[in-house]
Amino acid sequence: MPTPLIPRAITAFLAALCILGPAIASAQDTREGIIIAQQTDKAAHPPPETLTKPEIVVGYIGRFLQPKPRGFFPVFDSVYAGGSVTLGGGYGWAYGDKGSFAVRGLYSIKNYKLFDVLTNSPGHMNGHLTLFGTAGWRNATDAAFYGLGMGASLGDRSDFDFKESYARGNAELRPGDWVVFKGSVGLEAYEIGPSGTHDQSVEGSLTPDQAPGVGADPTYIHSRATAGIDTRTSPGYSRSGGYYGATIHNFTNTNGPYDFNRVEGEAIQHIPILRETWVLSFRGKVESTLGNDMSDTPYFLLPSLGSGSSLRAYTSWRFRDRHSLLTQAEFRWIPNRLGMDMAVFYDAGKVAPRFDGLSFKGMAHDWGVGLRFHGPSFTPLRLEVARGSEGVNFVFSGNAAF
Amino acid sequence: MRRILRPTVRAALLTAAAAIVAVAAFAPLRGASLKFYRDDPLAREPESADAAHVARQQIDLLPDLMLNLFVPPGDLEKNVRARDINTIDEVPDSSWFTNRIYAQPLTVEDVTRGPNADPGPAPGRWTITAAKVVGFAPGFTMRDSRGVTWFVEMDPKGYPHASTAAVAVAVRLFWALGYNQVESYLATFKRSDLDIDPKATVSPRPWRKRALRKSDLVRAFETAQREKDGSYRAFVGRLIPGKIVGPFKYFGTRVDDPNDLVPHEHRRSLRALRVFGAWVNLNDMKAGNTLDSVVEENGRHRVVHYLQDVGSTFGAGGAGPREWDEGYEYVYQASPMVKRLVTIGFDLSPWQTIPYKVLPEVGRFEGDHFDPETWVPRIPTAAFLRARDDDNFWAALRVAAFTDEQVRAVVHTGEFEDPAAEKLLGDILIKRRDKIARAYLPKLTPLTRFALANGTLTFENAATQYAGLPEPDGGYRAEWFEFDNATGATTRVIGETTSKTPSLVAPVGVPGLPAADGAFLKVALTAPDSKHPTWSHPVEVYFRRTAGAWTLVGVERLADGAPGSSSPSSPLNTEK
Repeated sequence: MPTPLIPRAITAFLAALCILGPAIASAQDTREGIIIAQQTDKAAHPPPETLTKPEIVVGYIGRFLQPKPRGFFPVFDSVYAGGSVTLGGGYGWAYGDKGSFAVRGLYSIKNYKLFDVLTNSPGHMNGHLTLFGTAGWRNATDAAFYGLGMGASLGDRSDFDFKESYARGNAELRPGDWVVFKGSVGLEAYEIGPSGTHDQSVEGSLTPDQAPGVGADPTYIHSRATAGIDTRTSPGYSRSGGYYGATIHNFTNTNGPYDFNRVEGEAIQHIPILRETWVLSFRGKVESTLGNDMSDTPYFLLPSLGSGSSLRAYTSWRFRDRHSLLTQAEFRWIPNRLGMDMAVFYDAGKVAPRFDGLSFKGMAHDWGVGLRFHGPSFTPLRLEVARGSEGVNFVFSGNAAF
Repeated sequence: MRRILRPTVRAALLTAAAAIVAVAAFAPLRGASLKFYRDDPLAREPESADAAHVARQQIDLLPDLMLNLFVPPGDLEKNVRARDINTIDEVPDSSWFTNRIYAQPLTVEDVTRGPNADPGPAPGRWTITAAKVVGFAPGFTMRDSRGVTWFVEMDPKGYPHASTAAVAVAVRLFWALGYNQVESYLATFKRSDLDIDPKATVSPRPWRKRALRKSDLVRAFETAQREKDGSYRAFVGRLIPGKIVGPFKYFGTRVDDPNDLVPHEHRRSLRALRVFGAWVNLNDMKAGNTLDSVVEENGRHRVVHYLQDVGSTFGAGGAGPREWDEGYEYVYQASPMVKRLVTIGFDLSPWQTIPYKVLPEVGRFEGDHFDPETWVPRIPTAAFLRARDDDNFWAALRVAAFTDEQVRAVVHTGEFEDPAAEKLLGDILIKRRDKIARAYLPKLTPLTRFALANGTLTFENAATQYAGLPEPDGGYRAEWFEFDNATGATTRVIGETTSKTPSLVAPVGVPGLPAADGAFLKVALTAPDSKHPTWSHPVEVYFRRTAGAWTLVGVERLADGAPGSSSPSSPLNTEK
């Protein structure tokens, strides 16, 4: 006999109360019960990982900058001084414990081009020896030559097309905390031709007296040895310590004359003031081509001044001769310890045909202000404006000034 | 309808309908959300679900740093009351935190023992199983003669004892403060005491793992401080038990941990690290210095959260003395950066001029110019930025609870070579402790440890007890109410009493305090003081009548959403 509907509903209600009541009561009467219910629900229905848009973007950037075993990377470097704004890219991959290999290409708005392969292998000899190798080709279509000596004027500018194919190996040994030895051997094949971008070209219009080595396309075995004391935290960025080193170069031409030797001496000192609130930085550099034969060194390999790392208000390659002297001083202040430096700077330099002509008289000089974005040991972007006797120059560089 | 549906189907529908009605019958109660449940206050945070399936997560350094520096991650709502606290404004024990100092009496022996359960690595030779590749401090992983795995970190060359002593001391302090810490010991060894396991590996790059060679260790020993007798002093930390599942973030929750319900930025136990970090100068608060481990207990798994690396403390780190600005500025902070930029550096920050008494074993650490409210770690963490005055008050109570004797005893475990260094570190910690107490305890009505018995409400004034402040010039005042737990309303004003001392007698006369079991009492306590206007804001204290006695069930210092944040600003803000 069927049970009437209402009593049956009451029975069902009571039955449901008996079944669900304790659970509900438990959940509502105790805080622990509520939390356990939430944990049970999360276990049954795990929520998706939710990120805000800024979190996604920053995460992407961070992951892009994380070291990877291989991948593409942007390159902010120079093809050749005077190339103006240059951008490039590369593909690199890691090998071994610390080694890396990369293929790069760079192009500047002045049609300068570079392709190279590089390998860097640090960490040998318990971390004391770093090996480096590179091979490549570059072309500066509009390289400048203003003549020899400090008397060369801006209006005397001639141009040449500079091509270099090169392969070299470097080794850097740091046996102690401060001492550094470097050595390299490389093959450098130069091909110099007329530039099509200006009226006056070095090749064909200047004589060997005006431009030593004009018309020559030497192929050098270039050997270099350096010994120094380096107490900086890093050559790429430092607020303390110094570098005192000497380098000797030997250029042996495999296809003709123009063998020559050159020595360089460089001194850098950073003096921090008030816990690195300010830093006084000084640099002196002398380059000297050995011997008295004025014609043994091609004009495009003579010591030079002018550009973003020497006389910053002057255009690249502004002054060339057999010997050069550069002095630089910076007053730096540090808005951010890990990211940003500011500086006012003063540069003075001189070139001379004879070493005894290097003096503090008759120097070209400039001053300016700079903004540098840096990491703990590198300076990826240096923006400077400098003023000298020939006007104002803007510097965009991917390296430290010194 | 009755003709269409078969009886079985009809019965099922009826049952379902009845069930819905039954649930609905309870809904009002659930919706009413009792203020206090019968198990309040919770002494332990429930972790009921099995966490066996929690997977290893990796938090890369760079994205973590960028996120915390340039994007305020986590819940952006301001003044959110901590959500891992119980109804008496305390943090219950959990896989994150264990109540120790202040919550329970700790002896000097307790705090100096810290997390250490046994005498440390067994005597005998150590077998190296892996080279250390992360962090600045030189070190390696080894297995002792009992087969127990330990992580070994030595002092950096030129800075004897500073780094290892810092770890030894900090591990004990953070253990006493309530955090899960690695068993840690100081040890000395000679290179001749070491063997290399043939199966030992090294990962010179994240994606590369290979057999360990002797040469891998040469660099580590070259950069480590060698004692005069040729030995090396090291901090030795025991391998964390369980399945390691990576670090935790200071915001959000782990989606695969069912027990992880409270967003980490709203955990008081993590917010409080701002105060604890300020005390010991724990600068390096990145996710990479935390670690989660899945442990099995009684057949169920739960995730245990460790502050893994608290060695970046005091005045020296794994690579030598601290940077001058550490503790004073984030690595990127807009306001001082812009000021220095436009003033050519002449807008000086405190870190540029304060004097330090620098001893090599202590480094750059001082207490005279320390300001706990402006102290910041290298990188902001979401949890710090959400800390409110009640969180800081809670944390400051724990810092203040360390006695001088306890502080000096813990510092002694650093086994400093120079007694002056040990004394200096102890002096600085005591100074900084007192400054923290003076900074945070008076910010709110500083009354704690409430008890109601025999018609008398007793409590402590933390500001007088720990910060050396006098009793409030207006005395103590209590307004007594009967409280309806179901509606959350005060139903009857019982009366008001005052006292000059932290003890208040309940209003006498008719009708007096409720006497029935299950009754609730609310007392609004103030400590009016002319020098501290905030002390006139009441602390609301709730008691429940149980078995003829009053049990503390609720403490509210600062309501959810109420302004009350003395936390440092984000690095993107213009003002520090």
